[in-house]
Amino acid sequence: MIQVRQILPNLPAFALAFALGLSACAAPPPARPAEQQPAPPAEPIKIGALYGVTGGMSSIDAPGLNGMKLAAKQINAAGGLLGRQIELIAIDGKTDQTATTNAASEMINVHKVVAIGGLNDSTFALAAGPIAQKAGIPFVTAGATLPTLPEQIGDYFFMAPFGDDAQAYAIADYAIDDMGAKTAYMLVDQAYDFTTALAKFFKERFTSRGGSIVLEDIYRSGDTDFSAQIAKVKALNPQPDVLFISAVPSEAGITTKQFREAGLTAPIISGDGFDTPLIAEVAGEDADDVFYSTHAGLDNPDPKVQAFVKAYTEEYGRPPENAFAALGYDTLNLIADAIKRAGSAEPKAIRDALAATKGFNAITGQITYMEGQRKPDKTVSIIKVQDGKYSFVKEIKP
Amino acid sequence: MKRFLPFLWMAAVMGTAGLAQVLLNDYYQRVLAVLAINVILAVSLNLTNGFSGDFSLGPAAFMAIGAYTSAILTLPAQTKAIALPDLPPWLGQIALPFPVATLLGCVLAGLVAFVVGLPVLRLRGHYLAVATLGLMVILQVVALNWQALTRGARGISGLPPFTNLLWAYGWMLITVLVIWRIVYSPLGRAMMAVREDELAAACRGVRVFRTRLFAFVTSAIFTSVAGALWAHLITAITPSSFSFLLTFNVVAMVVIGGMGSISGSVLGAALMTLLPELLRRVETALAIGGQPLYGLSQVVVAMLMLAVMLFRPQGLMGQREIGDVIALLLRRDRPTQPVAPVGEARRTA
Repeated sequence: MIQVRQILPNLPAFALAFALGLSACAAPPPARPAEQQPAPPAEPIKIGALYGVTGGMSSIDAPGLNGMKLAAKQINAAGGLLGRQIELIAIDGKTDQTATTNAASEMINVHKVVAIGGLNDSTFALAAGPIAQKAGIPFVTAGATLPTLPEQIGDYFFMAPFGDDAQAYAIADYAIDDMGAKTAYMLVDQAYDFTTALAKFFKERFTSRGGSIVLEDIYRSGDTDFSAQIAKVKALNPQPDVLFISAVPSEAGITTKQFREAGLTAPIISGDGFDTPLIAEVAGEDADDVFYSTHAGLDNPDPKVQAFVKAYTEEYGRPPENAFAALGYDTLNLIADAIKRAGSAEPKAIRDALAATKGFNAITGQITYMEGQRKPDKTVSIIKVQDGKYSFVKEIKP
Repeated sequence: MKRFLPFLWMAAVMGTAGLAQVLLNDYYQRVLAVLAINVILAVSLNLTNGFSGDFSLGPAAFMAIGAYTSAILTLPAQTKAIALPDLPPWLGQIALPFPVATLLGCVLAGLVAFVVGLPVLRLRGHYLAVATLGLMVILQVVALNWQALTRGARGISGLPPFTNLLWAYGWMLITVLVIWRIVYSPLGRAMMAVREDELAAACRGVRVFRTRLFAFVTSAIFTSVAGALWAHLITAITPSSFSFLLTFNVVAMVVIGGMGSISGSVLGAALMTLLPELLRRVETALAIGGQPLYGLSQVVVAMLMLAVMLFRPQGLMGQREIGDVIALLLRRDRPTQPVAPVGEARRTA
């Protein structure tokens, strides 16, 4: 009897371990739900959609995935590509480097995708990109803007967005030309590639055009109290003309709120890290006089932008959350365009067609890859936030 | 025969790893490599947290040391010239083989652990947890600001993908073997004695401080191996890769598996690696209205942890090893034969 009693407490543990072991061995490649289409005669073309749908990147990655899905649905409704339907293989990268690389590898090796799109942050693109490069699968990043990504990763890596250099130059030009700013304060998140690069390019342009940086301060993503930094700004005399905050979406709202609550009224400027509903949600009424450069203004009167906004609203019951939805949409259309021009769904042919993209009309501006470059020259949109409302100001070609 | 059993086991594991390296596609290889890395992390953390009774939150810090040291050493010279132009010339012109770089990472991690442990381990209580957490923050700040060596927030990318299943499982076997030998030797008994009652252990002649320091340094050394393997699997590291989340994950593996059981740590690591991977497939398969249930895997894993803590707070294996469990199961068939209850004996050791 004693023996049985000793074993009993362990039984659930064994059962669990055993069941897991079994399911690990027996799990078949899962059946993916087709994109609610009747079964097409030919094999679908599989394209990977790699985003960190949960975790820190979700506020910009989830809209991106929705944008990609919308594009796939529209293409399929119009008869597909080369007579075949598109099947999106969307796997959550969980805003984690290990999970993101596993997901990229799963798409390529298990699901046999012919191309991958997605990811809005360079840290993750640098980890996932080389896997696609090694396997010879074209990878189009939807929103990672580190300008050196294509050279660092290789000839199968393409950028749908402009580089950080372009967006930083654009907001610096706007501050000088349209706001008449001469002095700027800089607050830089030290935890990300993106934020440090953006700050570097902003400083380069702002000072080379005669502006001066009166104070440069730092914080780290995850900080919630900016009172020390704010005290240093308040001690400045005279006050700077603009406050440049190089942040990722998670800190966009909270910095705006704390700076405004402290009584600092100078315009706040930033890059596409500020392109998040969080500014209005967190800062509320304090979200005033915020300007940022990003990929697309969704109230841009351009008919193709408005058609996208309408389709997105019909599909998801809400307007696009930010420009990353448009970038996701553009990314899939860019890949589809390359497949169409290549007349083939072979990864090598898609890569060559992508590299030859000329004047592709995307929601976020025309995409052309110059000879040997895989980073497009695009226009940059400036957005203003006033009373918690986001409005398109103008497009700038830096 | 019994003497050679461990070697047979090792040969079997390495043979399987070699076969998997040839037969499986890159994805399954990756998951298996992550599994081995997590086993190394969990088993080495268990040495301090489970056996010597010092709660360390060091994995992220010591992984970072292993990852950065090995990354800087293995990066080919021509890549370094572009990516890290400000390196001192003697460092910029060398590209060491992967195992050498890993071992140098171990040396550095061991030294850091020694220096940190020297003052902190003289205190009893949760001082080590706070100190190792502080070490993680310090290392992150150093990695962010020592641009010449680490490229700061941009991190080091484009590492040669050296980590394959043979390296991962080879190091895993070495880790498990060494820590097993330590734990079930007089030295390990001393650790457990210190864990149970420091004063009583000291009265029996155990050198308490030295024993605890030894466990901490050994743990740090193997953690840095996991860091080196991880860096050369992911091929891109940034200071934010080594955050508290990573430490939390390893602590969860150890707690779920059972503090004070090496087999438990292996089981915990396997669960926390494979379960999220499997559940991720469920996420996309269980789409409600075409909307995949993203986040399901995190919720299920968290609920599983809650369930383990509620129903089996000592962890799945408690302080038993796999051998005890097999012995227990076998004994059911021979109820007449009196055998000392192994698990109990170990607990009072």
